[in-house]
Amino acid sequence: MIRSYIKIAWRSLKTNRLFSIVNILGLSIGLATTLVLFLFILHERSFDSMYANKDKIYRVLLNTTEDDLETWTGSPSAVALELEANIPDIAEAGRLLKHDFGGTAFIKAGNEVFTEKKLFWSDAAILDMFDVEIVKGEGSEVLNTPNTVLLSESAAKRYFGNENPIGKTLTIDDVDVVEVKGVFKDFPENSSLDFNVVAPFLMQNAAKNPTWDNASFETFLLFNTASPNVANVEAKIQDILDKNVKKDEQWYNFSLQPLEQIHLYSSTYKDSYIERNGDINQIRNLTALAILILVIACINYMNLITARSQKRATDVGINKTLGASVRDIVVRFYIETGLITAIAMVLGGVLAVVALPMFNDIAGKELDISSLFSIEIIVFLVLIWFVTSLISGSYPALYLSRFSPKEALKPSANKGGIASVIRKGLVVVQFSASVVLIIGVIVIHQQLEYIQNKSLGYNPENVMAISTSAIRGGQANQALINAFKKLPNVSVVGRSQGYPGMGVSGRSINKPNTDETMGISTNNSEREVADVLQLKLLAGQLLPKNKQAGDTLVEVVVNKTTVDFLGLSPEEAIGKKVAMQLGNNAYIHGVVEDFNFASLHNPIGAYAFHNSSREPKSYLLIRFTNEVLSETISNFENTFKNIAPNSAFEYTFLDKNLELLYEKEQRTANVGLLFSILAVIVACMGLFGLAAFMAEQRHKEIGIRKVFGASVPRIVQLLSIDFMRLVLISLAISFPLAFYVMNQWLQDFAYRITISWTVFAIAGALALVITFVTVGYQAVRAAVANPIKSLRTE
Amino acid sequence: MKNTLLSLNEATRTVNSGSNKVTLLDNINLNVEEGEFISLMGPSGSGKSTLLNCIGMLDNFTDGGYTFLGEPVHSMKEKNRSKLYKEYIGFVFQAYHLIDELTVYENIETPLLYKNVKSSERKAMVADMLDRFNIVGKKDLFPVQLSGGQQQLVGIARALIGQPKLILADEPTGNLNSKQSEEIMELFAQLNKEGVTIIQATHSESNAAYGSRIINLLDGKIV
Repeated sequence: MIRSYIKIAWRSLKTNRLFSIVNILGLSIGLATTLVLFLFILHERSFDSMYANKDKIYRVLLNTTEDDLETWTGSPSAVALELEANIPDIAEAGRLLKHDFGGTAFIKAGNEVFTEKKLFWSDAAILDMFDVEIVKGEGSEVLNTPNTVLLSESAAKRYFGNENPIGKTLTIDDVDVVEVKGVFKDFPENSSLDFNVVAPFLMQNAAKNPTWDNASFETFLLFNTASPNVANVEAKIQDILDKNVKKDEQWYNFSLQPLEQIHLYSSTYKDSYIERNGDINQIRNLTALAILILVIACINYMNLITARSQKRATDVGINKTLGASVRDIVVRFYIETGLITAIAMVLGGVLAVVALPMFNDIAGKELDISSLFSIEIIVFLVLIWFVTSLISGSYPALYLSRFSPKEALKPSANKGGIASVIRKGLVVVQFSASVVLIIGVIVIHQQLEYIQNKSLGYNPENVMAISTSAIRGGQANQALINAFKKLPNVSVVGRSQGYPGMGVSGRSINKPNTDETMGISTNNSEREVADVLQLKLLAGQLLPKNKQAGDTLVEVVVNKTTVDFLGLSPEEAIGKKVAMQLGNNAYIHGVVEDFNFASLHNPIGAYAFHNSSREPKSYLLIRFTNEVLSETISNFENTFKNIAPNSAFEYTFLDKNLELLYEKEQRTANVGLLFSILAVIVACMGLFGLAAFMAEQRHKEIGIRKVFGASVPRIVQLLSIDFMRLVLISLAISFPLAFYVMNQWLQDFAYRITISWTVFAIAGALALVITFVTVGYQAVRAAVANPIKSLRTE
Repeated sequence: MKNTLLSLNEATRTVNSGSNKVTLLDNINLNVEEGEFISLMGPSGSGKSTLLNCIGMLDNFTDGGYTFLGEPVHSMKEKNRSKLYKEYIGFVFQAYHLIDELTVYENIETPLLYKNVKSSERKAMVADMLDRFNIVGKKDLFPVQLSGGQQQLVGIARALIGQPKLILADEPTGNLNSKQSEEIMELFAQLNKEGVTIIQATHSESNAAYGSRIINLLDGKIV
């Protein structure tokens, strides 16, 4: 029996080629998308699951309790020590600091200098709790002695080639000389932690004098038991905090984050050293999109089946008179659907393999094809196959099987009644979804365009920032500045702690005679930096040219937002003393116009350039005039190498760096675009098939109309108008929906476009044109056909 | 002495068309003996097809009694009724109604599948039928590859494969030319001789003449 059903289904597929291709291709695109996304989600969810202690490891989070309530991933350096000593549930605690608070290290091995972005200063406990596997030399215990270092296998290879690295020395930033004691296995690709070089945390100042102030150290705890009572431990931590910091001086409290949540639930936390962060929202959005595409593909199947219900109903009638029961018919339709989805599944798998590299490229991931053949994926496939077959097959199976044979065999019976209403409803759903996606893509694109072209209040073009953290001493730095100044295409050069688009030091400023405070970004820099950035001076002067070492007088150049907060005009502010954690001797020396020093997600905050030497000036900012970049770069590199042969040449262009701030949005836009195109293609395929069957169904009517004098355009109009009407309904549904959704998305930006009516006009026109082209082809074909043929009954 | 196959007692079929009640069959009284070959005649709309459908249990009388092999069909449940027609009745249609996706062989085999006949038995029965109708050479062809007459031949073979007592044929030659018609009617006559009861609806006097008895219908009544 079942063999006979499969036979019928297979032959029916072969006879109705158009129907089959549309269905199978549509479904396989839907399935391929779902598959790739499932792979992606599996990978994201697998983070940190390989650690034996995964249920016992927690990270300490710091929640600020003043002005903006933020969550930081760093804690003060005393936290780990106090917690380990006073809470018996905790077996071990360890601190982690990325070199230079998140910077790049310059490592000299032999005569070569390397840039190293993954140098961490760590307590031995961290390596223990994450069971880091040592492949050569000594293990984590070496971190209990200063001037030692552990390397990853790939780092060892990079620094020493095939030589044995054990016992060799490295020089970090021309300061610390360390000896290689051991080599560990590279961290797996789905580990949140990823070290190349690990040096002892105890060499850091923060380890020598543990404090409750500077919250820059990621602190990990290993509990004795899995899933400890978090609330209980957090209460104990609060007690410890109360003992060490006076209540009115506490500007934060602590909470615990389990290891399994670190990857997906940390995207809004500040300043983590972990760079492989995912985002649960992204996963949710992509899941929704994948389901949407799959649903659209299933809708195609149902639509095309119902469109052919005339033929189907006759089949049902014949089979029933031959003795088939309702159950037989139901089974038959599910088998037919199951066969089609199975074929689509195989094709979808192939498509997924082909499309994976493209997806990796667009989404910035490194998913592996071999993981497509895992047990999870196979179970998932079977599940999806089952669900898709069930959804797609239900309409024909449950509706058509109820026809009594007499009704079903009556040639004139109107079996399209409910079917055509459902069909129209489904087309509307499909098109509404597609139009929402089209509008989404346009709005995202416009917003990114807007951001990239917005006047920032400074000029990021033709500015290079060179990292000089490995150059020690004022003389060497002055020599470097002089050398650059001599270059013909360099206009201004200045040293600075950081540059716009990168985080600098966060402090707070106090409004005199009140207890109002505001966060302020402070940047230790030279006078020339304002000129490099082409800032507009509103009042006063730029920072003074020379400052004696040891002078406690601090001059500050603030932005307009700062003086607004202080309630002063730029002119009034000049010479005023400011309390902004730069000592008791800080005065406003000048005021500059506001500029967007961070990403446009945030409104402009307070910003200050100062000349207190509390932070190192690690960057040389250069404004150049030449447009020929490759020449400029090699020219700059030679100049740099002449002065600082022991440092690697690390640079960035300010405008390029800005683009990175919107990388996430750019990826969202790209992935969104990809999905939208797929959804629209699948929906169009459905429409195309549907139009073909409609034309076939009405071929007799068309023949009669032609005999009575209808012109070809009239017939085309007749056939298209129904679809056009459906598309118009879809537009009416999707416009408000898209407007709402995209407005929500735009709320993430402090600077955003308003969605204009043209977006809707474009999306609407696009939908109508696509419909007309898709349906029109079928309509024209039907309209130009010879009516004699369609009117011949036998 | 022949057995009564079925009997209709004041059987009536009405439908509601809008607010009007339309009587399609009006107090039909009819006895059919086993081995009869009945031709239903009458103009379009006289109720021939409705009567066939009701006798074939694809449709129901709305009033009156219907007894088939001594069993009261009018008071039966749908399930038992379908069991009854599966077992004893074969249908032949004007438009053949072969399944397009199945070959001649498979089309004939289908009713056996629904009766859960064993595979080896099916093979033997279908082979017999192909042989009897002289269509062994066409067994792997699909309906579209056959002429109308050949399709109807397959249709009849399919109706016969379940060894029914009664064959209901609604205008079996309506779509055929005169030569094909003649062949089909000869076949019916032959089957009737072999003991199969046949009721056919037809427009054609010459086709009706093959039957052992003619019943004329007009406006739902036997005249």
